[in-house]
Amino acid sequence: MDIPLVLSHFQTHTAPLTLTRSGDLTWDDAELHRTAGLSDPEGYALLALVPGVRSSQRARVLLHTLATSQAGLDERTRRTLAKVTRALLFGLPPAEAMTVLLALRRLRANHKHTTRAVLAFVLEHPDAAALIEARRPALVDCFEHALGKATARACARRIDEGDTGSDYLRSRLLRFTADPATAIERVWYLYAPGTHGATARTDPPVPLEAVRAHEPIVTPTNRGDVAATLVHLYRGGPAAELRPALARYTAEVTRGLPRLPGSVALVLDTSGSMRGYGDREWAVLSQASALRLVLAEVVEELTVIEVGGGEANPEGATDLATGLLDALDTGPDLVAIVTDGYENLLPGDLARVAATLPRAGVTVPVVLCQATFSGRDDLTLRNPAPGLPQRRFWHQDDFAELLPWMFAHCAPGRNWIRTAVLNRLEGGRP
Amino acid sequence: MTRLDTIVPAPLDLTGYRLGTPQRAGTLTMVPIHGPSRPGFVPPRSGLKLKQVVTYGKVELHNGAPEGVAIVPLHIGYIQDGAQNHALCSSALIAAGQTRRFDDACCVQSGQGGYLEGRDQWFFVLPVELRAKALELRGRENYAKLWPAITDLNRGYGLPPRGHLEQILSRKRAVLTQFQSRLELMPGQLGALFFLGETFAGLELAPDPVYFAEMWMALVCFAYGVAAWHAEPVPGPAEPYDASGLAELRELLRSDRAARTEEVASWMPKPTRKVELVEQERYLDLRLSTVTGGGLTGQVVTEHGRPVYASLFTPR
Repeated sequence: MDIPLVLSHFQTHTAPLTLTRSGDLTWDDAELHRTAGLSDPEGYALLALVPGVRSSQRARVLLHTLATSQAGLDERTRRTLAKVTRALLFGLPPAEAMTVLLALRRLRANHKHTTRAVLAFVLEHPDAAALIEARRPALVDCFEHALGKATARACARRIDEGDTGSDYLRSRLLRFTADPATAIERVWYLYAPGTHGATARTDPPVPLEAVRAHEPIVTPTNRGDVAATLVHLYRGGPAAELRPALARYTAEVTRGLPRLPGSVALVLDTSGSMRGYGDREWAVLSQASALRLVLAEVVEELTVIEVGGGEANPEGATDLATGLLDALDTGPDLVAIVTDGYENLLPGDLARVAATLPRAGVTVPVVLCQATFSGRDDLTLRNPAPGLPQRRFWHQDDFAELLPWMFAHCAPGRNWIRTAVLNRLEGGRP
Repeated sequence: MTRLDTIVPAPLDLTGYRLGTPQRAGTLTMVPIHGPSRPGFVPPRSGLKLKQVVTYGKVELHNGAPEGVAIVPLHIGYIQDGAQNHALCSSALIAAGQTRRFDDACCVQSGQGGYLEGRDQWFFVLPVELRAKALELRGRENYAKLWPAITDLNRGYGLPPRGHLEQILSRKRAVLTQFQSRLELMPGQLGALFFLGETFAGLELAPDPVYFAEMWMALVCFAYGVAAWHAEPVPGPAEPYDASGLAELRELLRSDRAARTEEVASWMPKPTRKVELVEQERYLDLRLSTVTGGGLTGQVVTEHGRPVYASLFTPR
């Protein structure tokens, strides 16, 4: 699986997964999912939980994982897939999860893990009561697809007659759930009369990542605690007070993240434009430096090549091309260029040097991370190397998706992503 | 190309000034100038203030510094929302604490009412396309005198043909101000050569790096940035070097850059002896003169024959 390609696709391809009333399933990237899912089922599924992956892509991963046989997979992989499945079932907006379940019905997918997943959604969903009220016919369809129509209806009839634990009910239904009492209550409710016009919540009951709430007006000091503290330091604030806080805030950002067992060469643009001016002074440099601090904590071996006057004295021109060559000389697993995108010595040099690397026998991956003031900066004139993989970042919250995207490009990063996602799955991080 | 005195001919004595490595942003090339600093002049942003617009075409500037002469930058203009924006046609010398009235200022926003006041204002330098005309009109009292040239400029850039410079300076401000970052002010830099494409566009020299730093935005974004914005090239695909290893690639990059620096040197106008200086005003040992000839025009401030300020450009 081409992890950088697949992850970028997951984070940027926004077309929804749709299922028409007539049962036509539409996903324009089905082949990419099929290929990736078959080549590395566990890695593919874990990628869906990387921060920043689009909800519609997570739905596709859930669909592919549940529609595909797990024959031949070892027990460890099956356990991981089960965890990912559960995270996605309850981490997706209910409407999207139900589209997946209905698509499975359409595809006549009836593997054991499919059945378990459908029943978990119907019987264990935290908002099941409201969901059943709002989507009763669809959920009945899902339930009957999972158990088989005759079995499902037989279970419902028995429950309606007061059965709470017969052998039939246990072997056909209750063995799939850890909470038989709740399951019985929900099956009864599933087949009860409905209420017209009922609505259910549209947000996921167990979100996969925190909802980002930012101030409407961006300032240098409301783009995350690490950058804000750096801005105060740059302005000459009291180091005795700010330095310990900086260490604390950096530790909070990196808490629970595994170490990358490899080397990263960071080309850090510290030219005059990174300092900025006026109301935005220090904003861009502070966020770039915040990333540097985070990388220093997370990466086993980090080498920083400063381009310009240095973080302590940002001034002068931007020679990214020489910075890249200096970085490659250190023999890293990955080169990350962090810049505002203004290359003036001379514009086009970075693109030419990057384009030459393959023929010069250099296979080290190079990525470009563009530091911006806000998420709305116009980057038309700020793309020094269009041929390089690139991402923009402006807020500390962006690091959650920026780090996996960066590391996905190098060999040690693939295991880093796996470990980081598993840590999240096991509750190490929200 | 490392010395300035070999480029700009006598009678300007520019010995001691050195040229740095060229930087480029689209079609605009900037060559930094370093050299002898003459501190003590009042910088244009932090020291010189627009006091008021007395009436259309009549502007008062104030040097509020306790000491030091303010050199009014050539073709400085002030923008303020909801007011008639003005630009000056010539440079000037204002002593500490003095207010000076300019009766030959030009309105750069036809049909906009209101007078500029000394608040919420930012300054610019007239786009190089207008500077020769503005200099030619110095001393003539007519607030609308630059409107035809502004109209032509707007028409040439596909904008409504009006005497509104604000159509470019304010409405295109987001893209123009990027030149401040696309070109980087160098430490200790006190001047610059500007080229548009392969054509010499202007020479700007300040008394010291502090003064020049305060001029930086007005020069790169507005004086020269407007023409560069209009001629922004579409970047082509990156052409790889023919290198088989990193060391070879580094060497090819170095030699390619050296060649491009030499190429910039070839764009300089050929030195000529036909430059003339005509003194406009003096303050103690300072002389403000207008320069013409040799393909250049503009103004310089000299002290004992040595320039402390210069704004020279190619008439367009």
